[in-house]
Amino acid sequence: MKKFLSLLLALVMILALCACGKAEAPLAATGGSAPKSDALVVDTCILKEADDAMINNYSLLAVNPEAPFADADGNAVDDVAINAIGAAALINWLLSEEGQELAANYGFEQYGEYLFYLKDERPVSTAEIPAATEDTGKIRLSTTTSVNDSGLLGYLLPVFEEKYGYEVEVYSAGTGKSIANAKMGNADLILVHSKKQEEAFIADGFSYVLDGMEAERLNWMYNYFVLCGPSDDPAGVKDAADVPAAFEAIADGKFPFISRGDGSGTHTKEISLWPEELGITAEAESFKDYTDWYISANAGMGACLVMAEQMHAYILTDKATFLTFVASDGVIG
Amino acid sequence: MGSSIRKAIELILTGDKELLNILATTARVSLTSSLIALLIGIPLGMLLGARRFPGRNALTVLNRTLMGMPPVVCGLLFYMLFSGVGPFRHLQLLFTVRLMIIAQVVLITPLVTCSMETFTADIALPLRETAKGLGFGPWKRFGLLVNECVYPIFSSYLLAFARAIAEVGAVSMVGGAIAWKTNVMTTAIMQYTNRGNFTLGIALGLILLTLSLLVNIVLSLMQRRLSR
Repeated sequence: MKKFLSLLLALVMILALCACGKAEAPLAATGGSAPKSDALVVDTCILKEADDAMINNYSLLAVNPEAPFADADGNAVDDVAINAIGAAALINWLLSEEGQELAANYGFEQYGEYLFYLKDERPVSTAEIPAATEDTGKIRLSTTTSVNDSGLLGYLLPVFEEKYGYEVEVYSAGTGKSIANAKMGNADLILVHSKKQEEAFIADGFSYVLDGMEAERLNWMYNYFVLCGPSDDPAGVKDAADVPAAFEAIADGKFPFISRGDGSGTHTKEISLWPEELGITAEAESFKDYTDWYISANAGMGACLVMAEQMHAYILTDKATFLTFVASDGVIG
Repeated sequence: MGSSIRKAIELILTGDKELLNILATTARVSLTSSLIALLIGIPLGMLLGARRFPGRNALTVLNRTLMGMPPVVCGLLFYMLFSGVGPFRHLQLLFTVRLMIIAQVVLITPLVTCSMETFTADIALPLRETAKGLGFGPWKRFGLLVNECVYPIFSSYLLAFARAIAEVGAVSMVGGAIAWKTNVMTTAIMQYTNRGNFTLGIALGLILLTLSLLVNIVLSLMQRRLSR
């Protein structure tokens, strides 16, 4: 029976291989030869970067256990379970010398470039980090896709988990969705990159100042958003005086532009860079006249980059994700 | 496609730890939820098909309506109910495998019920006539019905399993696709697609289909043997 099944499995695989074209079948049959990479060669390149208008700040915010949580109908809920001790432990570790050094060095080995930089005026923690207990062992981190997809969290968190015995559950989505998830009481801390949305989160009372910190919003890390596009640069973005001028050139020439369109931090940033008279906002209504060139993809950064590559479109992305994308020939993960 | 297939084979042969974890979670979620759905749906479907009682039509219509529930709506509903601010927050079930199973049971049970109801309604009348002719009592009549239903029970299970293993909307909402915990094949495929890694997405898709094929072969063989 087993033999029969494995034979069948092999048969299916071979059939599938044959279906994929003659060229590949002999390659698989010999088995030994190196697989030919048919991943796309990335043409999209960075056209505008390291501009002050393009700074991308990452912040940590602890979720306030006493926050004015409300259910779907707006009724107050006062017994939401938030692991404040665990959240504080993770924040204190990320802001400790060890955590900061690890974050700052991330990416150099793999990509030959640092992906995240530490702010000059950053909060630093020297607080003692308590070991995990039964009640505080599970930390729910709601975060933006860029820190997860670029591999940063996968690099940092195991060190923390092993040292102190915590278990960090990472919920990764766009900044908008991450914050909404925290507001529903499903996260102990958030790591996001949209100042406007973070400030609204604080103003609504969902965050608080940790012991030894000066503010709710702990902005300790940054990198840059980069404006990317086809290497032949039909809009002449490279020669534009500054970033707003570059966006204006794209809009004037109606060159295709891929927008994340998903309420993420990158999407929020992009909206703020268009010329004001276009009136582009997160609302679909605002860009209904521009659909011939403004493409609201409503997808993750990687999927949008693939789209930009195939459509020869311009796109705004965080540098970490872009470098990861290029380094792996157009795939991430 | 060729590179995807190679990637799929490579992943299986190297025994990629994360893939194994994802496979285990997928198996746990889809096997458990389809089994529970079967245990609820089969008796319910047979009851609706074979018996006439007040409210039967309403129940049938309700069941058929629930069949059309979009998975993502089901997921959203359970997300809201079990959220940190939801009415069932004390159970602390959000982003756990258990809640994924519960959400899938709600999605799948109507399918099993409907498929059993359709089959039983078809054979109920002739069966009753035959039983009457043979002078069978109610219990023997029930036994006869169950005997006739072995084949469709397997088909219903395969339907339930197929829906469970292929479903993504509900499990991604209530599971959150958390690595090493609630990430299943479909949510992992979504994740890789969002990262632009289509090759790995297709590779996982191929593995999923192959697994589905194996389960179907085993169950179809059992189905033939048992319903002979």
